[in-house]
Amino acid sequence: MRIICCKFGKKFTDWHVDNLKHMIDEYSGLKYDSFEVITDDLYSNWFNKFQMYDRFRDGENLYFDLDVIIYNKLPNLIRQNFTLLDDTWWRKPAHTPLNSSVVSWTGDVSYIWEKFKKYDEFFIDTYTRGSDEWYYKNIKYETFDRVCPSIKDYLYYKPLSYSMCTLGQMHHLQEKGWSGWYSNYFLKH
Amino acid sequence: MLKICTVYFDGFYTPDYVERLHDSLRKHSSIDFQFVCISDTDVKADLVLPYNHHSNIKKHWHKLKFFSPHFAYQKPGDDIIIMDIDQVIVNNIDDLLKYPVEQNELVTYGQWWENKLGINGGFYKFKSGSLKFVWDDFALNPEYWQLHFYNNGTVHKKYYGEQNYVKWKILEHKAKLTKTPSEWIAKYTDDYKENLKLNQLYMDKFDTDYMILDKEVNEKLKVVHFTGVGRKINENYLL
Repeated sequence: MRIICCKFGKKFTDWHVDNLKHMIDEYSGLKYDSFEVITDDLYSNWFNKFQMYDRFRDGENLYFDLDVIIYNKLPNLIRQNFTLLDDTWWRKPAHTPLNSSVVSWTGDVSYIWEKFKKYDEFFIDTYTRGSDEWYYKNIKYETFDRVCPSIKDYLYYKPLSYSMCTLGQMHHLQEKGWSGWYSNYFLKH
Repeated sequence: MLKICTVYFDGFYTPDYVERLHDSLRKHSSIDFQFVCISDTDVKADLVLPYNHHSNIKKHWHKLKFFSPHFAYQKPGDDIIIMDIDQVIVNNIDDLLKYPVEQNELVTYGQWWENKLGINGGFYKFKSGSLKFVWDDFALNPEYWQLHFYNNGTVHKKYYGEQNYVKWKILEHKAKLTKTPSEWIAKYTDDYKENLKLNQLYMDKFDTDYMILDKEVNEKLKVVHFTGVGRKINENYLL
């Protein structure tokens, strides 16, 4: 099984990659064969993530964004078919119900990369609000069960029914100086 | 514990503004406090926390973080003061630092010059966590709030409106707004004629002989605030 993450631009640093690995190793219970970090900055935006569908064409794959908190043993997130999060149980659908903070697939889904790559400039101009809208309107997908709520609803207490949260807009919580329940699970600065 | 909290970032001011405020606070108070600064460089402070230029939070809006009880290692019962760095302490400020504050109350500078807003972002005092809604509501959509008061024409400079936001939230959540005695604060600029007018206003308002006269400051004054868009501390007035 392969764990994948992406780091590009200046928003995220080596600390964020080390922090994700730390949370996976310490709390998730996941056993994996390799921890892969994609750093090639082809597009200077979130569409960089699509490189993983080209690069990893076999085996079990599980992708995490760097702005998640993993604080307990994760349920089985490995999926045969291309699967990502549906957030609409905790937020309005907006331009997309989807969230690719967690993605899983088994085998070869390079068709996603190829479909995007063929008209990449057009898609980037069209989907200015992110790649999650592109998934929603361009490919078939499945969605996880309710496994990943937003930290915005749990700022002051840990959601015990879950094992991970997405930070969404609240990346600042990973910075030095914050001391909420979540801080205990992050790598020390 | 009392925490006095500030923000510095490279741009308009220089790190010596933080040092000047820190030193003047220590010099003119007998109260123990921790001086905290969110900064993008080394500054003189007991605790320096990172200013992230790649954050969706911009400029002085970072100071709203101190409204969260989870920031800057606050403990329940702490008193939190947030100060802008464009100020100099000129007389003993124990009464200002000790100014009484209760849960769900914001203490801000009373000011004698025009202030339709009725709040002064140069000084906020509150009980740790009691006004956490100020930060929590902001953090849900920083991009919106940071431009909201510019987009609706209330302010005329991008990313201004932090005071307007705080006032809005204080009203919305029915918190108490309290002002310190206005004679404690001087407004001063780098414009000679404007300073003459300010002196006259202060003299009329408080029936006194002067506000600031060369290097002399009125004994009632505690803080000189070099307030206003684009204003710097008067280089002739570095106490």
